[in-house]
Amino acid sequence: MDSSLDVPQPSNGLAARFTRRLGLKMAWNEPGNGKDNGKDDGGKDKKDPWSGQNQDGPPDLDEVVKKMQEKFGGLFGKKGGSGSNGSGGGSSESSPTGFYVLVFGVLAVFWLAYDVTYTIEQAERGVVLRFGQHVDTIQPGLNFRLPRPIEKVYKIDVKKIFNFSDTASMLTADENLVTVKLFVQYQIEKPEKFLFDVRWPNRNPDSVLRSIMESAVRDVIGKSSMDHVLTEGRIEIASQTRALMQGILNDYDTGLLISELKLQDARPPEAVKAAFDDAIKAREDEERAKNEAEAYSNDIIPRARGKSERALADAIAYKAQVIDEAKGNASRFTQLLTEYEKAPKVTRERLYLETIEGVLANNQKVLIDVNKGNNLMYLPLDRLMQSAAGAAAAQSPSRVETPAGNRRDSIPFSSGSRRGASR
Amino acid sequence: MNSIKAQLFIALLVLLAVISPQVFYTVNMMEKAVLLQFKKIQKSDYEPGLYMKWPFIETVEKFDKRTLTLDAEPERFLTKEKKFLIVDSFIMWRIEDERKYFTTTGGDELSAQRLLAQKVNAGLRDEFGLRTIKEVVSGERQEVMDILKKQANIAAGELGVHIVDVRIKKVDLPGEVSEAVYSRMISERTRVAKELRSQGAEAAEKIRADADRQRTEILAAAYREAQVTRGKGDAISAKTYADAYGKNEEFFSFYRSLEAYRKTFQGRGNIMVLEPDSEFFRYFNDPLGKSKK
Repeated sequence: MDSSLDVPQPSNGLAARFTRRLGLKMAWNEPGNGKDNGKDDGGKDKKDPWSGQNQDGPPDLDEVVKKMQEKFGGLFGKKGGSGSNGSGGGSSESSPTGFYVLVFGVLAVFWLAYDVTYTIEQAERGVVLRFGQHVDTIQPGLNFRLPRPIEKVYKIDVKKIFNFSDTASMLTADENLVTVKLFVQYQIEKPEKFLFDVRWPNRNPDSVLRSIMESAVRDVIGKSSMDHVLTEGRIEIASQTRALMQGILNDYDTGLLISELKLQDARPPEAVKAAFDDAIKAREDEERAKNEAEAYSNDIIPRARGKSERALADAIAYKAQVIDEAKGNASRFTQLLTEYEKAPKVTRERLYLETIEGVLANNQKVLIDVNKGNNLMYLPLDRLMQSAAGAAAAQSPSRVETPAGNRRDSIPFSSGSRRGASR
Repeated sequence: MNSIKAQLFIALLVLLAVISPQVFYTVNMMEKAVLLQFKKIQKSDYEPGLYMKWPFIETVEKFDKRTLTLDAEPERFLTKEKKFLIVDSFIMWRIEDERKYFTTTGGDELSAQRLLAQKVNAGLRDEFGLRTIKEVVSGERQEVMDILKKQANIAAGELGVHIVDVRIKKVDLPGEVSEAVYSRMISERTRVAKELRSQGAEAAEKIRADADRQRTEILAAAYREAQVTRGKGDAISAKTYADAYGKNEEFFSFYRSLEAYRKTFQGRGNIMVLEPDSEFFRYFNDPLGKSKK
């Protein structure tokens, strides 16, 4: 009987050594775990070049392996030399050797298989280095390579679009300051150049691209006038900047391609914004002043035309009226004249008497015969005029003039040009 | 016997594992390398690939073959007009001659960068001192960068380094200069605003004046026409009267006077003080009507 079967494996067993080689610090990598095994090499503390530590721990793995060995003992008996048959006096490692080798082999195969196959995604390209030399750039799909120390594959996403925005203030050709905001999109076009020709700070091309952009856009805007930048020149500036940037990127062999560059915003600096806005407002004010004047013009000219039409119409109406009045009056006179000439004396006397009768009848009269009487007399004209005004008011109540007004109306009258009442 | 074999086998593997990195080395696409024996350069100019060397006696120093970026801190420079500008530049450079590079810098990238930055800054100082702000900013920007690159490469060559590009990222104006630019921009815009407004006022005034003129003309013409028409009316009516009244002038005078008397004393508020010897009273005192004149 091989006493090694009954005794737990010491720290120098193959399992321990194997795990040690992998650099794993296993709990059972320690000799002398309290079980007496009577083996020389098992009992001593042996420091190995890798772990250099001796640890306490359960020898579970060895136990398990031992049990497995017992099951498969027959299989490995030949491989492992004396194996479980027990040659006696042989090395304690002789029986499990073959098994360990097989396990190691299987694991190695799995590890290799994992390491050797790789997939390139649809959007990627694989750059393969063998011993540092670039040998191939791989299209998407499943691929194989030699294991890690020999070949290394870098997977680069060539479809992904990176972007960044930046705002900056700069001088134009006419020494004015403008603030512009740019948006840039780029992608990796040539993965080999991207990997091998430029070292990117923090492995990211972002900061270098920003620097190049700052430089390029200032070049372009430094050659344009401020008005051009702020108004119609945006697209032109964007395309010029893009061309310049791409040229620089190509000169540096970056393998990057700018897919889009837009001038998102171009405006005067904050400090002068008020003045610029006011200039725009001034243009609006100018328009507005003109429009108001036009409105005024459109108002008064038609009104004037309207007035002129009215004036003309009034004149025509006047003319017609005056002519018709004249015709009417003339006809009246003419007809009367005809009759008069048939009996002049009678007609004349009749007209005269009728008229004077009418006049005197309606007015207050004071008859004075100065030839007969004395020349001095007293005429209370005030009272007479007042009563005359009263009579007039009674007769025509619509007239609300004061007695004073009536006084002005009535004229002390003496027929013909004869002497006045009292001199 | 087997166990000894196995142990030897394992020991051999271990030995190989330890020794391999010291014997084999790769130089990849991104690297330049020099092979040193006791700090003396044995070999350089490596193509990418796998190589062997003596363990421990020979060592390998590797450098980055790629283009490297040096983004320096912004510096102040004085222009020809004695104005300060704050210039931010960056340098793209590469190790060309790895032997020289290793000899001069010992492979210390930081010190190499410092030396490069010094050289470039000195060049910038010179070039900026020769130019005005305007020249630097717009016209001769590219020229300056090209000159700098050329100059810096002369110095860089001594380090085994090649300068791929020197670019001016930005040129910032110090506070007082940008203030002056702002003032100028503001005053120019103010001038434009004033001009526009006064142009607007001018145009508006013209339009209004023209409208007033037209109005006056229209009204005046209308007045004239109206007066002419009224005149015609007056003329025709006068002629009508004259034709009619002229047939018997005396009768007209009698007739018209009677009407005048009637109209004049139409109201009732008149007082007439009369002598009874007028023609009207002819028969008043005397039935035969002889007047006492």
